Amino acid sequence: MGGEGWLFLFALLISAVLLFVMVFFIIMFSDLECDYINPIDLCNKLNQFVLPENAAHAFLTIIFLLSGQWVAFLLNAPLLAFNVNKVLKKNHMYDATEIFRTLSGHKKESFIKLGFYLLSFFYYLYRFIVALIADSE
Amino acid sequence: METPPNLPVGWVAQWDSVQQRHLFIETATGRSQWENPAQFPAGPIAPIDTQGQVPHGQPHQSSKRRQYATGQTQAYYGSAEPAPYADPSYGQPQPGGQLFTPGLAAEAGFAGQQGAPAYFAPPDTGYANGQYPQQPVQQPNMNQVTNQFAQMGLGGQKPYALQTVNLLAGQPDPRDLHRPTPEIRLPPNASISQSPYVNADPSYKRSTINAVPTTSSMLNKSKVPFALILTPYRSLKEGDEPVPVVTDTVIARCRRCRTYINPYVQFIDGGNRWKCCMCSMSNEVPQLFDWDQARNAPGDRWSRPELNHSVVEFVAPTEYMVRPPQPPVYCFLIDVSHAAVQSGMVATATRTILESLDRIPNEDNRTKIAIIGFDVSLYFFTLAPGSTESSMLVVSDLDDVFLPKPTDLLVNLTESRSAIEGLLGRLSDMFQDSHTVGSAMGPALQAGFKLIQSMGGKLVALSSSLPTLGAGTLKNREDIKLLGTPKESTLLQPASSFYKTFAIECSRAQVSVDMFLFSSSYTDIASLSCLPHYTSGQTYFYPAFNASRTEDALKFAHEFSTVLASPICFEAVMRVRASKGLRMSEFHGNFFVRSTDLLAMPSVPIDQSYAIEVQIEETLTAPFVVLQTAVLHTTAFGERRIRVCNLALPTTTNMSEVYSSVDEIALATLFANKAVERTISHKLEDARDAITNKLIEIMTNYKNTMTAAGSGASAQLAISENMKMLPILCLGLLKNVGLRQSAQIPVDLRAYAQTLLTTMPSQLLIPYIHPTFYSLHSMPPEAGTVGEHGIILPPPLPLSSERLERHGLYLIEDGQTIFLWIGRDAVPQLVMDVFNLPSYTELRGGKMTLPLLDNPFSQRVNAIIAKTREMRRGPYWPHLYVVKEDADPALRLWALSSLIMDRAEQLPSYQQYLGQIKDKVNGTTY
Repeated sequence: MGGEGWLFLFALLISAVLLFVMVFFIIMFSDLECDYINPIDLCNKLNQFVLPENAAHAFLTIIFLLSGQWVAFLLNAPLLAFNVNKVLKKNHMYDATEIFRTLSGHKKESFIKLGFYLLSFFYYLYRFIVALIADSE
Repeated sequence: METPPNLPVGWVAQWDSVQQRHLFIETATGRSQWENPAQFPAGPIAPIDTQGQVPHGQPHQSSKRRQYATGQTQAYYGSAEPAPYADPSYGQPQPGGQLFTPGLAAEAGFAGQQGAPAYFAPPDTGYANGQYPQQPVQQPNMNQVTNQFAQMGLGGQKPYALQTVNLLAGQPDPRDLHRPTPEIRLPPNASISQSPYVNADPSYKRSTINAVPTTSSMLNKSKVPFALILTPYRSLKEGDEPVPVVTDTVIARCRRCRTYINPYVQFIDGGNRWKCCMCSMSNEVPQLFDWDQARNAPGDRWSRPELNHSVVEFVAPTEYMVRPPQPPVYCFLIDVSHAAVQSGMVATATRTILESLDRIPNEDNRTKIAIIGFDVSLYFFTLAPGSTESSMLVVSDLDDVFLPKPTDLLVNLTESRSAIEGLLGRLSDMFQDSHTVGSAMGPALQAGFKLIQSMGGKLVALSSSLPTLGAGTLKNREDIKLLGTPKESTLLQPASSFYKTFAIECSRAQVSVDMFLFSSSYTDIASLSCLPHYTSGQTYFYPAFNASRTEDALKFAHEFSTVLASPICFEAVMRVRASKGLRMSEFHGNFFVRSTDLLAMPSVPIDQSYAIEVQIEETLTAPFVVLQTAVLHTTAFGERRIRVCNLALPTTTNMSEVYSSVDEIALATLFANKAVERTISHKLEDARDAITNKLIEIMTNYKNTMTAAGSGASAQLAISENMKMLPILCLGLLKNVGLRQSAQIPVDLRAYAQTLLTTMPSQLLIPYIHPTFYSLHSMPPEAGTVGEHGIILPPPLPLSSERLERHGLYLIEDGQTIFLWIGRDAVPQLVMDVFNLPSYTELRGGKMTLPLLDNPFSQRVNAIIAKTREMRRGPYWPHLYVVKEDADPALRLWALSSLIMDRAEQLPSYQQYLGQIKDKVNGTTY
């Protein structure tokens, strides 16, 4: 198995992890709506995952850039820019005082990210298989 | 049969055998009446016959005045029976002129009845005393008068009469702001009690619309937002009924939706069960519901307060407690740095606390007090019970705040009274020679929090400078270049996340924070006010406080002692429940939203207002909906109580009813809340535009659906009568310090104005956005004297500088400041009478206390000022500024900025604003 194969296998695993993180976020948000969790605990819990999630995604994107996987890089670049922008504006963390007002926005964002990670998961899987086939030939 | 008396021409008398008296008939019109038409002009006493019948109007009068009065009576009696809430003057025959009864002359009715010019009419006493006038003042316009009477005369179930007025035609009359709210017309038998108190008083709870559309699409179409404005804890002024208390701890609640029993439930099954008015669940009536526990005898269910009053308080049993009710706890954090001591803040504050020790709620001797001083270190004081001495413990480690002693820091007020008194007396002197500059306010807050977190309570922080040390350090970020630009809103956002995260910690531990800020330079109120915001406290700001000016010291001492003495509540949660199909969607005010509809309030300060937006989720099928607010709290005397506040509103499918039931005051309060929130999340510009756009939306839709013009262009700007003050209130909001487009407003003042806009109840908020303007030199003779309802105020004038005459003396007040404007040609006698100075040139403008002189005019002016200061709820004690017409331009401009109908800087005048709205209204078509 060559470098490309390893790369996409790695990407596959990362995107699977991100996928689960997003599912976790969405579950937590609906818990909040149903009053199973209070906003303070929710924010404390979710805020631990925000930066690691962003960092994992940024790391993956940069690896694509360095390894010259232009298509994969361009697919991920918009989300990276979005995350960086949020961090720079310092509103990447969930704010317990505002959470109920912004909840619908957060949920929408999490769903879109979930969809994106799902699609990229299959894309990486495809590229991984393609790389394997190319190797074996 | 008696001989008919002499009759005027055109009348005949007919004997009625049933009534045993003459019936008088006017041949020309066919109109009939019981009274002899010939008698009225002669007799000064109104002839009210034994059957209580009311004499009708008088035909064919010769004088103009009488004709007018006749028209009015006809208009009035021509419609149905008198409205249930109508003024007594309507029920009795006393229109101006013909049936005038000298002893009975209700001044209130008289002005309007006379048809005098609206603005210069003699004041009506009802209004002048802060009560709602029962009768709006009429403009001498017959049609309008007729309409108005017709509307008032409509009885219970008739639909709201929608009256359209053209805003361009007349000037707004400030008195209209005190009209009663549109009537809530519930279907008959909606409530099981006939008590007049079954619906909440507007000062407790009011809704932006008093008739709720049945579907959300209809609500959206009307463009009028649906929201509740709540002040569950409002102060009781003289004459207010105290809230009835249910003391027997029998609390009937719906099993499913947890609604408290209220006057709108139905008893079924022979009174053994009750049907919830929200979810229609059938519940059992508790066994002790009909049992009078005080007398230990069967009681009368129908006399229970919760079935007769909309606002009641239940004494809660132990199921409503997670711990024993907490005692009132006050922890004072006093800035003792150089600036604070020099300004006299420390001395004034300690003296005020000392003098208020007896007024702090302490009925059961459980109140606890702690005092912590801070500059660059923290100073703790041990106040051992019984001793008169206190010792000071200094903690200079600000990174990891700890309490130097486990006991005697937070002490019982009664037990340690002498030690506390001793300390308060000496505190200012102890730091007299302090030259330290810097403020460890963050660590002080943390220390105070550590001290009281096990119990909860109130942290009262008094600070004279920007926090510069330890946690919560703030920088001076005021940048004059940013003022007036879109970037300005960044200065209104909190600079440090400490004040939010700490606020959440406080809210969890039931700690509420009040801020008293005194700095003469920037103190970043935008960040500091976060703490009171999320912990249900309040921010008070005394810019450039200096106790050597008696006015400053007096204002602060008055407000501070009022706050300390107010009967506050602790560890509270508030929830609003509503009929099926309604959902509370957004919450505005000082609290922390703990779950989708639960508001956590570590303390409930008195007279604080909250706005809650309501969504219609599904079609409403019931003829009326009920909105119930419940506040579970611990009172200052250690009782767990639930205050329940019910408001029932009818539903409607008719758009015109929605419009004719709009409460413009509630709507303006909601706009103020939403606009302030928008300035923080978006830009000031956006917030202002949002207000105007909302107004345009409402007006456009009103024109399209309710007027003949339809969607075409119209030369008029139509709106329903009950919303005619909305444009000026919106304009007032746009011109308020909190939102105004200007590069001159310091950020602190703006942020403070914004905290006021979001916390003040309508009674205080409306004058704040639409100040009151009186002319004192030409006030009517009775103004300023004591009338039936206290001191009579002069009639308010429209807020336009056209009214300012060069020789006049005027008073402009917005509840926070009072301006006494004096024209440059004021006669020396006036200056002498009011200021005891020989001439206008001797007079100096600025903050001052008006001397009370031995002449009637001075006494009347002083009485009006005193009345202005005390007539509203809330602790605020406005400063009095004397503004000379040719004096200090800054002060002059400030005073003139209260006259919101004028053009100022880039902001339009009222007429221009209406013009803009009209263009937009005509420009947009659907």
